[in-house]
Amino acid sequence: MKTLKLIPILIASLALMALSVSANDKYNEMMQKNIQTVYTAKTTDEIQSVINSFERIGDAEKSKWEPFYYASYGYLMMALREKESAKKDPLLDQSLKAIEKAKAIAQAESEVIALEGFIHMIRVTVDPASRGQQYSGLAMQTFGKAIALNPENPRALSLMAQMQFGTAQFFGSSTAEACGTLNKALEKFDTFKSDNLLAPTWGKPMAEGLKTQCK
Amino acid sequence: MKYLLTFLILLLAGTLAAQTTISGIVTDVKGEPIPGANVLIADTYDGTTSDLKGNFQFTTDENGTQLLLVKFIGYKEYKQSIVLNSSSLSVTVVLKEEINQLEAVVITAGAFDASDESRRTIFKAIDIATTAGATADIAGALNTLPGTQKVGESGRLFVRGGDGSEVRTFIDGMLVLDAYGPAAPNTPSRGRFLPFMFKGTSFSTGGYSAEYGQALSSALALDSKDEEQISRTDIGLLSVGADVAHTQAWEKASWAGKIGYTNIRPYFNLIGQEVDWQRAPESLEASSAYRQRVGKSGMFKVYGNYNHSNFALYDHAIADPSIKVLQDLANNFGYINASYKGSINSKWSVRSGLSYTGIQNHVGLNTLKFKEDENGLHAKVAFDGSLSDKAELRLGGEVIKHTYEAKIDTSARALGFGEVIASVFAEADLYTSNKFVTRVGARAEHNNLNDEVSVDPRISLAYKTGKTGQVSFAYGRFRQSAVNQWLRMDNTLQPEKANHYILNYQVVENNCTFRIEVYYKTYDDLIKFNDESGNLLSNQGSGYARGLELFWRDNKTFKMVDYWVSYSFLDTERDYLNMPYAVTPSFASAHNFSFVYKHFITKLKSQVGLTYSYTSGRPYNDPNEEIFNNGKTKSYQDLSGNISYLPKPHLIIHFSCTNLLGRDNVFGYQFSKMPDENGVYASRAIRQPAPRFIFLGVFITLSKNKTMNQLPSL
Repeated sequence: MKTLKLIPILIASLALMALSVSANDKYNEMMQKNIQTVYTAKTTDEIQSVINSFERIGDAEKSKWEPFYYASYGYLMMALREKESAKKDPLLDQSLKAIEKAKAIAQAESEVIALEGFIHMIRVTVDPASRGQQYSGLAMQTFGKAIALNPENPRALSLMAQMQFGTAQFFGSSTAEACGTLNKALEKFDTFKSDNLLAPTWGKPMAEGLKTQCK
Repeated sequence: MKYLLTFLILLLAGTLAAQTTISGIVTDVKGEPIPGANVLIADTYDGTTSDLKGNFQFTTDENGTQLLLVKFIGYKEYKQSIVLNSSSLSVTVVLKEEINQLEAVVITAGAFDASDESRRTIFKAIDIATTAGATADIAGALNTLPGTQKVGESGRLFVRGGDGSEVRTFIDGMLVLDAYGPAAPNTPSRGRFLPFMFKGTSFSTGGYSAEYGQALSSALALDSKDEEQISRTDIGLLSVGADVAHTQAWEKASWAGKIGYTNIRPYFNLIGQEVDWQRAPESLEASSAYRQRVGKSGMFKVYGNYNHSNFALYDHAIADPSIKVLQDLANNFGYINASYKGSINSKWSVRSGLSYTGIQNHVGLNTLKFKEDENGLHAKVAFDGSLSDKAELRLGGEVIKHTYEAKIDTSARALGFGEVIASVFAEADLYTSNKFVTRVGARAEHNNLNDEVSVDPRISLAYKTGKTGQVSFAYGRFRQSAVNQWLRMDNTLQPEKANHYILNYQVVENNCTFRIEVYYKTYDDLIKFNDESGNLLSNQGSGYARGLELFWRDNKTFKMVDYWVSYSFLDTERDYLNMPYAVTPSFASAHNFSFVYKHFITKLKSQVGLTYSYTSGRPYNDPNEEIFNNGKTKSYQDLSGNISYLPKPHLIIHFSCTNLLGRDNVFGYQFSKMPDENGVYASRAIRQPAPRFIFLGVFITLSKNKTMNQLPSL
């Protein structure tokens, strides 16, 4: 009798598990769809719309870093598209705000730290003369942190290479170090596989673009 | 089985429930559509983004009472309870503008804010360091802005007809007793604080906040940097000395220390000077700064600075240069400032600080020795409250204890005073919209020397006339205790007072700034001599100043080029000190013009800067003439240049030279106290100590990543 009584509870709990799996499926499914969109979005309206979607998911889930990461990435892409430098800062502010949320959830996630460094890097371009020193140093330091957290992260390596290359070019010194980092990044782009379905995959074309300058 | 059934039914009910369609429009208060807004059901994935016309439509499986949220940057979040019951729902959403610092109008009358953080500022912290002719001196760089008059033999800031003592410096809100290093008579002094220490500079030429007291003409508020994030060591090898600094950064704190030694003797031996130095200036300086982040938003800062400097020179009599007096000075200066800033709750934050300044001067005139002792203690607490997004309140109180004593070594008699000023201030910023703000405030002070309580009102308004232009007005009453020299003779002297009226128009567009400002200022209770000797003093002096100022800055039109032009017209007269009636004082010049040019040449890896300054002739008093202050010098002109070369990321070579054209500038004339046998007072021109000042420095930065350099600190 006792076992009989247990069966429905067992089934019920199995069903509950199924339900939670399906919730996770829903999360993964929605995220994958949106990630696809953020990578392929053509207009800023499209990006804004997918950012909104990421923020809805992030706010509902509360404990997942990926939605905020991609919202941040979206705002960063908007900032990169923006031609007027005065309008870049508010977008970068939004991007930073989103990555801070991701950081609060996953502070040791190399991808999150690398994206934070990317934001600092773009800050420089708004006003190189007065921001160059502060933000390029900060970007370098942040990329260093991201690489330390995961030496396999191709994006952290490639962004670091970008900074090193820019610095070397500015001072007319050898780009060997930058190109070395870049080669490592390109290698990792091929070999690095995250077990997270939703892990970022962007950055390879950018690294390949830089490769053409490394000879 | 019963349970399972119930559960399955529930599950099915959940998935099969009919969807509700929610549609509507998002607009602002004027009915203009807002595209891009995030419309959602709280805590669910369901929602959408409003389209170009502000319209939205989405479906949800949720049931019952839910919360509809609409969010968009720059607007307050919209919340509405809705009941979802499988039918369609239409909602009209009106978003209210959020009063936010980046968008809202700011009061600009009289104010020049320089900061790296606020991006709307028209003058940046780095500008101070890279302005040619300023030799990295804060006052030198601010001297290229409108509202200032160049007084070359002083090196101090003179603002709108006020003399050099009327500009007061505040570090993190705390008063600094004397912000300038000692200098020989008629040679320019330098500021004690280096520009690289600060992340923000707010230079106000009038009409400033009720928070700042004891400043008659101008408040220079310096905001020190927060914690450093990168550890580094800096070495500077200069043509006049050397310094070494180290910064250590931790997760939430940083410490920085610097030791510098300056000795200008070798330089003066190389390049002849007008001044007859017996011992050229030499100084040793040490400073240290500690920063600690406390909790989420708290910041604790301690900054200390110690400086010893000394020099000795021969002062030659004007009538007979063979008669000379040895003047020597040894100065010890110590300053320590501890401050804390943090939030109390979501609405209120607190700023508090304690600062101490100690100054000791040993002065010698041949064998006669004087000693001056000055101490200042300042304690302050201020609360900032956001009562709503449309009203901000600032309340605070402070106590300044200032003691001074001057004494001849051989005499028991001392001149001095002990002044205690206790004050409270309150000020409110009221926003009618992002376009219009009114600031109303008052400051009450009690001074123990005359046991009087005073209340000074401050009012300012700002209105955005369009996207980029704005008009601003400010009025205020200001007071400042008489300077040491007079107050030590008569402790009952009243503070000097001034009224400022300022009207300003400013447009900032595409990295270009245009600004025009007119002002009128009255002075009363100025110190006045009641007898020839100046031993009897009163507060019967008065004066006025009025003027027009223009500023244009452009770092857009020419690639890698940044330039600004400023012009100030000043009309002022005052009847104070030894003046027989109201005249234009000798530090005032009617026309001041500056042109500052900076060009980064990528090919040469160098930043090149040029500054041209023009100051029209200044009055001086010739006792051989009937009319007081009737003499006028020729105009002052200076073209200075600098070049910073960055051969490697962590190495900078900096060269600067003032007065490239070697113009013989005359600042005024001195006359002998007694006429000669023919009844003529002999005269001597006050000139630059040398035609040019040449500076060469090599700066090396050692840090983990080699991109750091000292450019911003030059």
